[in-house]
Amino acid sequence: MPQSYLKKIRPLLLGFVLYASSQAQLSAAETAGERVTLQVIDVYADVHAGPGRGYPVFYAVEQGEAIEIIAKRPGWYEIRLQNGRTGWVTAKQISRTVQATGEPADLPEVSFGNYLKNSFLLGLSSGVFTSGELKNSDHWTFSLGYRPISWAALDAEYGKLYGEDVRGDYYGINLIVEPFSQWRLSPYLLVGAGEMDVDSQPKLVPLEIQKSDFNNMAFGLNYYLGRNFLMRAEYRTLTVSTDNKDADLATWKIGFNTFF
Amino acid sequence: MENRLQHFLLTIALAGACATPCAKALADADYDNEFVEFGLSAGVLNIEDFGSELSLGASLTVKASEDFFLQVNYLQAEAALSSFEKSQGQLFSGSDRDFQHYDLLLGVNLFQAEFGREGEPNLASFYLVGGVGDTTFGGEQSFTYTVGAGYQWAIWSNYLIKLDYRDYFYQTSLMAEEKTVHNGHVSIGMSYVF
Repeated sequence: MPQSYLKKIRPLLLGFVLYASSQAQLSAAETAGERVTLQVIDVYADVHAGPGRGYPVFYAVEQGEAIEIIAKRPGWYEIRLQNGRTGWVTAKQISRTVQATGEPADLPEVSFGNYLKNSFLLGLSSGVFTSGELKNSDHWTFSLGYRPISWAALDAEYGKLYGEDVRGDYYGINLIVEPFSQWRLSPYLLVGAGEMDVDSQPKLVPLEIQKSDFNNMAFGLNYYLGRNFLMRAEYRTLTVSTDNKDADLATWKIGFNTFF
Repeated sequence: MENRLQHFLLTIALAGACATPCAKALADADYDNEFVEFGLSAGVLNIEDFGSELSLGASLTVKASEDFFLQVNYLQAEAALSSFEKSQGQLFSGSDRDFQHYDLLLGVNLFQAEFGREGEPNLASFYLVGGVGDTTFGGEQSFTYTVGAGYQWAIWSNYLIKLDYRDYFYQTSLMAEEKTVHNGHVSIGMSYVF
C-alpha cells in the first residue's frame, strides 16, 4: 500500500476508531445503566409518600409484584410501581425483595463490613493530646477514605491543633485494618505517616516540633450506629522526627464516620 | 520484599474488584443516590464584646442515615467598631476584623413530620447539631465548640429551607485575659439535595 494513500485515509481510520470506541462506551453505559426491577417476596411492603418515617403510607405492594428502583436516600429507596405511581420503601423491606436472578436485592441490617466493601468514607473526630510537647492541646480532624475490601481502608486526614500557646496543623495517610468488620462493635488498628507544622503564639517559646514528619499507630473501636454510620473511639501514639531526637506524643479521640 | 509487597497490593486490588454480586446488587444500577446536600445561608452573628453583624455561610451535609448527618459549615462576617473601640480607639484592623469560622458537626433529626399543603406531603424536621471547629478573629485562631438547633422544611422534593440557631464558644484573650465568649448566630438558608 503506497504511503500517500495511507496518509489520505488516516483521518478516516482515526475517525472510525473514535466512533467505534464511543459506540462501545455507549453500549457499556447502556448495560450498566439499566433500571433494576425487583420482585417483592414478603406478603406486602409499605409504600410511603416520601423518604421518612413521618410520611404517610399510601399503598402496599403485594407479594410477587414487580417494582423498579428510581433513587436512593439513606435507609430508603424510591420505587416505581406497576401502575406508574412512585413512592418510597425502607431499605429494610427492599432487602427482602429479589432480583430477576433470584438474588437478594440488598443486604439486611447486619454484617456491616461486607456491605461497606468498595465504599468511600467521610469522617470527623476530635480529641486531646495526653503527653509530650503538645500535652493538653485540643485537636480536630477531617478525613476522607476508601474501603476496597470489607476489612481494610485507606484514609487521608487533615486537622488542626490548639494548645495553650501553640497552633498547628497536620495531615497524614493511614491504613486501617478492621478484621471483624461484621460485628457491631469492632476493633481496628491504624498505621500511617504524615507531616505536622506547629507554631508558638506568641513566638517566645522555642518548640522542638516545628515542621516535622511523623508516623503514627492507633488502636480503636468502631461502633456501628447504622449500616453506613459509625462512632469511633481511638488511642493514638505519634513519633515525630525533630532535629535532635524523636518526640513521642499520644492522644485519644472520638469521632464519627459515614460511608457512601 | 518488593515481590511480597506487589503480591499484597495485587491481592487487595483483586479482592476489591471481585465484590460479590449480592453485597452491592443495586450498586451498578441506574438510580440516583441522594445523600449530599449543599446549602447557602444568610444570617445575623452576634460577636461577643462587638456587635451584631450580617453573616454569609455555606454548608455541605452528608446524610448518614434517616436520623443522623455529618455537616461541614463555613461562615464569615465583618466586625464593625465596638462601642469600646469607638471611645478608646480601634483594637485591630484589616483582615483581622473578618470573623471567619468553619466547623465539623454531627446532627440528629429529632421530630420528623409532615408539614405544609394538604395532599402534597413535605417532610419537616427539628434537629440538633454539635461539634468542633475553628474561628479566626482579631488575629486569634481558636478551637471552637459549636452547638445548635434548627428546623428544616422540604418545600419540593430536593429543596430545603432551613432556620438555624448556633452558638460558637471558645477561649479568647482579645478583651481580657482568657475568657470564654459565646457568639450566637441565627440564619436562614436554602439547600439542594444532590
